[in-house]
Amino acid sequence: MSAEPMNFHKPRFWARSETRLAAILFVVLVLLNAALNPVRFSPVNWPTVLGLAAPMILATMATTLPFLAGRGSIDVSVGPLMGLINVILVKVVIGDLGISSPWIIVPAALMLGLASGALNGFLAAILRIQPIVATLATYLIYSGLALSILPSPSGTVPAWLSALAGPLSFIPVGIVIIAWLFFKRLPFYELLMAVGSDDRAAFTAGVNVPVIRFFAYVFSGLVAGVAALALTALIGSGDPNIGPGYTLIAIAAAALGGVSLAGGVGGLAAAFIGAADIFLLQNVLTSFNVSTFMLQAAYGVVLVLAVCLNSEKLKARFQTKRASR
Amino acid sequence: MTTALFSNRAVIAFIGVIIVFLLGTILIPGFGSVFSVRAMLILASLLAIAALGQTLVMILGGIDLSIPFIIGFANVVFASLYGSGMPALPAFLIVIACAAAIGALSGALSAGLSIHPLIVTLGVGTVVQAAVQLWTRGLPTGSAPPFINDFVSLGGTIGPLPFPWLIPFTLALTLGCVFVLHRTVYGRRLYALGSNLKAAELALVRPVAMWTTTFALSAVFAALAGILLVGFTGSSSATVGTPYLFQTVSAVVIGGTALIGGRGGFVGTVAGAIVLVELRTLLIGLGLSEALVQSALGLLILLLVAAYGRDQHIRNLI
Repeated sequence: MSAEPMNFHKPRFWARSETRLAAILFVVLVLLNAALNPVRFSPVNWPTVLGLAAPMILATMATTLPFLAGRGSIDVSVGPLMGLINVILVKVVIGDLGISSPWIIVPAALMLGLASGALNGFLAAILRIQPIVATLATYLIYSGLALSILPSPSGTVPAWLSALAGPLSFIPVGIVIIAWLFFKRLPFYELLMAVGSDDRAAFTAGVNVPVIRFFAYVFSGLVAGVAALALTALIGSGDPNIGPGYTLIAIAAAALGGVSLAGGVGGLAAAFIGAADIFLLQNVLTSFNVSTFMLQAAYGVVLVLAVCLNSEKLKARFQTKRASR
Repeated sequence: MTTALFSNRAVIAFIGVIIVFLLGTILIPGFGSVFSVRAMLILASLLAIAALGQTLVMILGGIDLSIPFIIGFANVVFASLYGSGMPALPAFLIVIACAAAIGALSGALSAGLSIHPLIVTLGVGTVVQAAVQLWTRGLPTGSAPPFINDFVSLGGTIGPLPFPWLIPFTLALTLGCVFVLHRTVYGRRLYALGSNLKAAELALVRPVAMWTTTFALSAVFAALAGILLVGFTGSSSATVGTPYLFQTVSAVVIGGTALIGGRGGFVGTVAGAIVLVELRTLLIGLGLSEALVQSALGLLILLLVAAYGRDQHIRNLI
């Protein structure tokens, strides 16, 4: 009568249904892009393509981490934070202080991201202001600060930083992916998913729920710091207006990739695929020379369709139909 | 009795309105003048009308991000229909009906398939805005009928009274909304569903029908705000609603409606809208740049919500 410990295997990546749809879309879009635009998507140009997509991919990853923590956890300040770090790096660090060493600039970006993550985490998890309100307030604060530091786009970046959007573009995304693979081996990851799936059960099991949520925001800020570096590398200057636009598209990309906004489902792989889908979709449409409005419409339709098809309720309904036959 | 009064968040928001007003009259000459008060009330009314739907949706426990897109849609479509010779009433009805259909779609999708309303309204809103832009090729035309211009005019008067019809209209809307929320079956169901979904379902409240109706109402009021904005700005633009995305959420939250649902009301939202507009006027009057005003508003939202809008600790949710 000894209770055998249940052998629970986490489902393999391809067996997880929430990202399957986005993954299929990803393959289709890659093939479509390769067929339509063989030059641009030839292996020689892969670094450039990744450099173009990197800010959005990293922004989506940063947005995904708080989603995993559940009970309304969300960080809408990722976009403006990227803009603020971009402006501080270009105007203050590179422009006013005249520093161009990567050993200062990279830590500066990461520390700024970390500080913002700690602030958001403190407000949302410790002070318990509703996360969307707390991060909305920091959204307003960051975008206002960015505009007052640098009212209009200007400035230049050192060559090594521009290279991060060109030949070395695999570094920012690659580092975050490697860090995530390590992160998944930590007990913290299991605790995060437990809190996201059922925070009350996790709390009764002795998990310090607020602290876990706090660190979800901190890591989100850190990834946003990397995203800011990728953004600065891509645009090669300071621009206070470009950052806030990433917030909504990153939320959309995360949902498209199968990250549940209710928590506990998804991960950075899902975020990567969701963001890549939106990027590739934009590319396909651009190669047909459609207007930006058409692009916007298509992206809205794909988003709504994808989340509808991914809905658990819809799947359950199909399964009961199949079973009753 | 006094504790009951002060624990009412709408009352706190109105105390905020008075404090900011007094601060303004002390710090800035002309803040309390008829012209400035009227301008603030008009801006606050427009915001309050746009935020009415957001209030209902948040009592339900949802969020509507399609409000700015619906405002832009109503703004452009009404102006073009009227500008191309259609009488005002049919144009008005067409716009409102379309908005209701769009809102109903968002509500039905999020409740029927249990998808987070944030994503659905964002996606639907994006499609709506793109469709409007495609229809007008990015260059909207048209104008508002003169009576709408008068309705929201900064120099408008009603006989001897120094304000346009928009102000009494918003007041009537507020009273009507209080009546609907507290004295009708719909209102009771709204709070029931927002407080506890399972309990409400057992009490035979149909979630999908309620979400569909409420999101449709939200879109209708956003469209109304969009039409009034044609009269206010004199021209139409598909992006006129953009600032309303976060302003409606802020007004509702400052007014004491909880995002988790089941609590709050429209009276608080009106107070929240007035506080937002007052603060903005005050800070700009103090010489802050538009960008810094935005930062300061973010900070103030944090302070206000930290003071009375905090969530419960997880240990109290078990």
